[in-house]
Amino acid sequence: MMTGLLRPDSGQILINRLDVWADPRAVKAIIGVVPAEARLFDRLSGEELLEYAGRLHSLPASEARSRAAQLLDVLDLADDARRLVADYSTGMRKKVALGCALIHNPAVLFLDEPLEGVDPVSGDVIRRLLTRFVGSGSTVLFSSHVMELVEQVCDHVSIIDKGRIVVTGTVDEVRGGKTLQQAFIERVGSRATDREVLSWLGSSSS
Amino acid sequence: MARLLVQLKLRLLRNALRSSAGAKFAFIASTVAAGLVAAGTFAILALLRGQSASVDLTTVIFTLFAFGWLILPIVAFGLDSTLDPATLALYPLRTRPLAVGLLAASAAGAWPLANVVGLLGVTVGLARGLTGLVIAVVAVVLEVLFCITLARFVTASMARLLRSRRGKDLAAFLVIPIFVLYEAFIQVVPRLTASGKLTAASFDGIDRWLRWLPPGLAAHAIQDASTGHPGTALLRLALLAAAITMLGWLWITSLRRALVTADTSTQSSAVHGAKLRFARYGLRGTVAARFWIYQRREPVALVYWAIIPVIMAATSVSTVTTPRYHVAILLSGVLGGAFVGVFHANSIGTTGPGFGFEATALSGRRGLRAYFAGQNIALVMVGLPLLALASFAIAAVARHPADGFLGLAVDLTALGAGLAISNILTAALPYPVEKRAGNPAPRPTDGYTGYPIGGTLACLAGVVVAIIPVIIVILHTGSDPATVRMPLLVLGAAAYGLALTWAGVRIAAATAAQKLPELAQVAIRSKL
Repeated sequence: MMTGLLRPDSGQILINRLDVWADPRAVKAIIGVVPAEARLFDRLSGEELLEYAGRLHSLPASEARSRAAQLLDVLDLADDARRLVADYSTGMRKKVALGCALIHNPAVLFLDEPLEGVDPVSGDVIRRLLTRFVGSGSTVLFSSHVMELVEQVCDHVSIIDKGRIVVTGTVDEVRGGKTLQQAFIERVGSRATDREVLSWLGSSSS
Repeated sequence: MARLLVQLKLRLLRNALRSSAGAKFAFIASTVAAGLVAAGTFAILALLRGQSASVDLTTVIFTLFAFGWLILPIVAFGLDSTLDPATLALYPLRTRPLAVGLLAASAAGAWPLANVVGLLGVTVGLARGLTGLVIAVVAVVLEVLFCITLARFVTASMARLLRSRRGKDLAAFLVIPIFVLYEAFIQVVPRLTASGKLTAASFDGIDRWLRWLPPGLAAHAIQDASTGHPGTALLRLALLAAAITMLGWLWITSLRRALVTADTSTQSSAVHGAKLRFARYGLRGTVAARFWIYQRREPVALVYWAIIPVIMAATSVSTVTTPRYHVAILLSGVLGGAFVGVFHANSIGTTGPGFGFEATALSGRRGLRAYFAGQNIALVMVGLPLLALASFAIAAVARHPADGFLGLAVDLTALGAGLAISNILTAALPYPVEKRAGNPAPRPTDGYTGYPIGGTLACLAGVVVAIIPVIIVILHTGSDPATVRMPLLVLGAAAYGLALTWAGVRIAAATAAQKLPELAQVAIRSKL
């Protein structure tokens, strides 16, 4: 709904004081989106995909091409720039999707599970790029189930359970002296496991 | 192991009956088709009794069956879970019992049974006497065993490739010869037979080479045994058995390797050309550039473009060499343009989640007009030369090459109308699709199965209606000099086709602008 892809039943969403559903064109110009499953045009090469994203956001062709080259370099994809995205690994797909979301220099970036299935090296590249992006005064809004990552990179957290925000605040406020993992389980509730079941499992059993 | 794998195969077949309505229908249709093929093949082989070319035709049919077993497992790689050795690679199994098990699993099911039953038609058609009958039964069993081993060898040796992106792309193209064969059997063979140009005698001597291939050995062994040469028959069967053993050994070797080797076929693929062409021409040019690349790199797009001239050729077969050759030129153009529309009548659904990526940048009528227009530009760049080439080829076959311009006029209008209707349908009636094994074209997800039929009918009807003025003009200008008539017709048709497409783009963009989030949801729900 915040990215203009799912129509809300009611309410209003403002991004940088712009109403998403009253003026979608203006909002789309200032946001970037990386969905969880980075489903892209996988018959384009990484280079072509980034240029396409830039041109869709009305960048001049030469500027789109130049930014695409710089992003490929920073994302450590320069050697694979001419390979089809279809042949990219999960980490490479996430990185090129992030590049597509950043190429028009958005004010707000939406990420869904940005590091899911990503190797540590690619994860580090993404993390550094996001830190730099936020350092410049831009906003990153992302969803994740990896609490360690959230603790490391976020300054404001909301826990959502069954579609509703159950708690929101700064990271310190939400975790309340515990780890964010513990705070999350306490808020959302944990499933008790029965030790009697699967009693055969483990090397001490036969 | 053999029992376990046969049980697995039967369980998979049974589960197909319990799954979705579409899968159930497909399973029942496939079983009925297997029964029809069995009965049909048996009847054809039995009817060869007493024909001069009976052994030649039997050899051709035996070879066609082997060809089918060679091709279909590659196309249907994802359909039969027992075909991919990787699904069993993690279990502690030795290669030899696994091979026997896989062979037995291959032999279970309606289609292998249909093969045996159908090919047993030789016991009536070709076999004579008790020796001939016994040899016929053995030959049929060996022929089916050869087919199964061949299929297993092909899938095991190509398993690594078939699991890769590039292998799946290549397998998609196998649909083209299958479609060509299908059209030939449905359209060409009945007409040639009806006109007396194709009789059993046409096959005399066709097996000069085929007789030395394993299926030919089987057919000729029956002939030899029935004509009093049991020694030669046994020798042929021994050769066939040796070929099967050899193939089996090759299969086990490749199976052993397939279980423990990774695919590396896509490691070095890089594309030529560093930038998007026409991207400097605004949003329209950018979208056209993306669609243009997809027309070349997406296997489904290439398959669709290959199918269109086949449809055009098949529809013109009956009239192209008759005085009514104009019908061939007009009808092929109409169908060519209509099918360009049919294949792109759900372009947002078939774009899939990638459209979500585009939707985060597109908005408003202007943007969407550029989107649809860009798509149409790319499709015209491929479609128009293709349709024109087919029309001129048909006109040349009809020995009236200048009438290719009439075909071009029809192509221009039909293409314009086809694209206009496909744009409107894309915006008005989009539906999510999903990939299916064994067919490069995606199918609608459950609940949307009627949509493609509706789209096809709408495109056909729309193009037929749109073409009426052109046909009226063609009929009323027959006496005008060709040097004036043809250029005016082609220019007029081009302007008319362009106007239709322009109108289609405007209607589609206005519709899409109202429901862009819904269109994006449809695209995101597609599983490609």
